[in-house]
Amino acid sequence: MTKLTRRAVLSTIGAAAAASALPATPLFAADRTIRHYWWGNPERDKRTFAVIDTFQKKNAGIKVSGETIGWGDYWTKMATQTAGRNMADLVQMDYRFLFEYVHRGALKPLDEFVGKSLMIADFDKGPLDGGKVDGKLYALNIGSNSQVMVHNTRAFKEAGIDADLINWTWDDFGKVCEKITAKSGGKMKGSDDLSLMIETFESWVRQNGREFYGPEGKVTATAEDVAGWWQMWADLRKAGVVRDKNKTVILDPPIAESGIAVGDTAMSHYWSNQMVGIQAVAKDKIGAAMVPHKAGGKPGQFIKPSMFLSLSRDAKDTEAAIAYMNAWVNDPEITGILGLERGIPCSPKVRAALTPKLTEVEKLSVDYFTAIQSKVGPLPLPAPKGAGEVRDAFMRIGTDVVLGKAEVAEAAGMFIEDAQAIVERAQ
Amino acid sequence: MKRFFARNAPAYVFLLPWLIGFFLLALGPILASLYLSFTRYDMVSAPRWIGWGNYEYMFTRDRRFWKALEVTFTYVALAVPARLIMALGVAMLLDKGLRTIGLYRAIFYLPSLLGASIAIAILWRQLFAADGVVNQVLAMVGIQGASWITDPDTSLYTLVVLAMWQFGSPMLIFLAGLRGIPRDLYEAAEIDGTPRWRQFTRITLPLLAPVIFFNLVLQTIDSFKTFSSAFIISNGTGAPADSLLFYTVYLFNEAFKFFRMGYASALAWFLLVIIATFTAIAFFTSKYWVHYENERD
Repeated sequence: MTKLTRRAVLSTIGAAAAASALPATPLFAADRTIRHYWWGNPERDKRTFAVIDTFQKKNAGIKVSGETIGWGDYWTKMATQTAGRNMADLVQMDYRFLFEYVHRGALKPLDEFVGKSLMIADFDKGPLDGGKVDGKLYALNIGSNSQVMVHNTRAFKEAGIDADLINWTWDDFGKVCEKITAKSGGKMKGSDDLSLMIETFESWVRQNGREFYGPEGKVTATAEDVAGWWQMWADLRKAGVVRDKNKTVILDPPIAESGIAVGDTAMSHYWSNQMVGIQAVAKDKIGAAMVPHKAGGKPGQFIKPSMFLSLSRDAKDTEAAIAYMNAWVNDPEITGILGLERGIPCSPKVRAALTPKLTEVEKLSVDYFTAIQSKVGPLPLPAPKGAGEVRDAFMRIGTDVVLGKAEVAEAAGMFIEDAQAIVERAQ
Repeated sequence: MKRFFARNAPAYVFLLPWLIGFFLLALGPILASLYLSFTRYDMVSAPRWIGWGNYEYMFTRDRRFWKALEVTFTYVALAVPARLIMALGVAMLLDKGLRTIGLYRAIFYLPSLLGASIAIAILWRQLFAADGVVNQVLAMVGIQGASWITDPDTSLYTLVVLAMWQFGSPMLIFLAGLRGIPRDLYEAAEIDGTPRWRQFTRITLPLLAPVIFFNLVLQTIDSFKTFSSAFIISNGTGAPADSLLFYTVYLFNEAFKFFRMGYASALAWFLLVIIATFTAIAFFTSKYWVHYENERD
C-alpha cells in the first residue's frame, strides 16, 4: 500500500477543487429556466414534451423543464412542493382544487398580464371565467370537457344495442349492461362499477335537483342521494353485470388498467378529453355516451374547464412563464400539437385551425361536445377547501359498501356526516 | 476539564460529522415540530397558536386516529412475535454448524435489506393481487384464493407476512447470541438425558434472554414506524377502507395531502409517547425475565 504523504493529499484536494470549479461557468451562463408540472398519461406526456421542444426552439434563451406524474400522485407531490416553497412556475390546475390553492395563497393572479403578454381577448367568456376566484383570474383554461360514458363500440354492436346514447336513462343503462354481459357469456361485463366515482355521483345529485356543494361550500347532497347511488350499483353487482368488486376497490387506477382498456367491461365514466388517451390504449374503437339521465330529473352533466395552467407563487421569471403560457393557447404550431387531448380549446381561432386535421377520436369528442350542448346544466360553484379529502372519504366508505361490509343506508349517512365535518374543519 | 478534552478530543472530532448533522438537520426540525403541534399550520400561511387544540381533536373527535391506532397496534402485536419466532427458528437451524453457513447467512439476510424498499412493496402487491402469483399457486391445488390486498379483512396479514420474511437482522443477532451459549451446558444436559425441548426452554431461552430483549425492543420500535410498505400497498391512502391506515400513513396524509402540518406534528409527538411507553415497559419488566450471565445476585 502506498503511503499518504502530506503533499499527495494536498495536491489531490487542489485538483479536486479546480475540477469542481470548471463546470460552474456554463451553469451560471445558462439563462432563464421555467418549470412546468402536469398530471398526465403517455399520450399527453408525449404531446407536452413536443410542445416544450417547439417552444424552446422558438424562444432561444428560455429553457422549460417538464415534470409529469399520474393523477393519483399529482396532488401529494404538489402539496409537498407547495409546503417546501418549491412549486413549479407553471402548474396544471383542476377545477376541484383551484379554490383550495387560491385560498391558501399558492397562486398568483393573471389579470395584470391580460392584454399585454397574455392575449385572450377573443376567447369564449364562459369557459374562461371558470378560472376566476373572487373576481380575479387565477387559472387559464386550456380546454373544456364534460363527463362521458366511454363505451366499446364493437361490444355494443355485437350485443345489438340501439339505445339513444344521448337521451338514455339509468333504466336503459341497466338493460344495456345486462345485454352485453349476456352476449359475452359474462366475459365482458356491461360497465365498470362506478360506486366510488364521486365525479359521476355529482351528476346523480344534480339530477335529483341539488348540488353537491351549495353556496358557501356547504355540503348540500343528502344521505338519500348517496344511498340511492350505492343501492343502484349494489343491485347491478348482484345481477352480475358490472365489473368484479375486487377491481372496483382499486382506487384511481391508471387508464391502461381500466376495464375499457383491458377488455373487462364495455363502459366506464371519464372526462371527454380523456377519450384521446383511452383510445391510445384500447383495442377496440371507443364511442361516447352521456351519463344516463334520471327519468323526469334535472340535467346532471355540465361543461367545465378540464384543466388550467396557473402561475405559482414561487415563480421567479414570470415574464418567461407568461410567454410560455401565451404560446400554449395562441401559437398555432403548439396548439396543433396539443390538439384536443386536454379538452376543447376556448379560442375560436384555435378551434377553427384544428377542425380540418382532427383525428377520428378527436372528431368523436367534438361531435359529442356539440350533441350535449343543450342537455347540460350550469357549471357548479367551485368546490370548497377540503373537497379532495371528501373525495377520499367517499371512496373509503364506499369501499365497505362495495365489499358488502356495510349497510347502504348507514354508510350513506356516515359519509354525509363525514363530508360535512371535513369541509367545516378545512375552513 | 483539560484532561477531559485531551482524552476525548479525537472521539469528538470523529463524531463531528454526525453532530453537525444532528444539530443542523435533526434537532431544529424536532423542536419546530413540537412547537407546530400546538398550532394550526397549513404550510402556506403562518402558523397560528391554538394551544392543546390538536391534541383535543385527536382524542375526542378524530375517528380515523383511533382506526390508525387499531391498525398499527394489531400489526405490531402480530408482526413482532412472528418475525422474532421466524428469526430465532432460522438462527437455530443455522447454528447446527453447517459448513456453508456464511452463504446461508447472507441469503437469509437479503430480504431484510430489500424489505424496506419500494420495489419489494410493489412486488408484494403483485404477488397478493386477485390474479397474482399466490392465488395462481393456490389454484393449482384447487383452492380459490381471496383477493388478499383489496379485501380489508386480509390486507393487513399480507403485510404481517412481509414483516415475517424480513427476519434477517434479528436472526443475525440471535445467531451471535446462540454462539455465545457455552456448549458444555448442552453436553451436561445430554448426559442427564434431558429432552431437546427442555434443553430449549431451560438453557437456550434463559441464556438468550438479553438478546431476545434487545431484539424485542428494536423490532417493536421498528414496527411502530412501518411506513413505506404500507404506503405503497395501500396506494398511499390506507385503502382498502382504512384497513392499512398505519399511524405513519395517516400522519403523512394529514401533513402532505391535507395541509395539516400542525395536526400531523401532534400525531408525531403522540407516536413518540407511544413508542417511549412501550420501550419503558419493556425495560421495566426486563428485570423479571432477563438475566445476564455475569450478574451476581
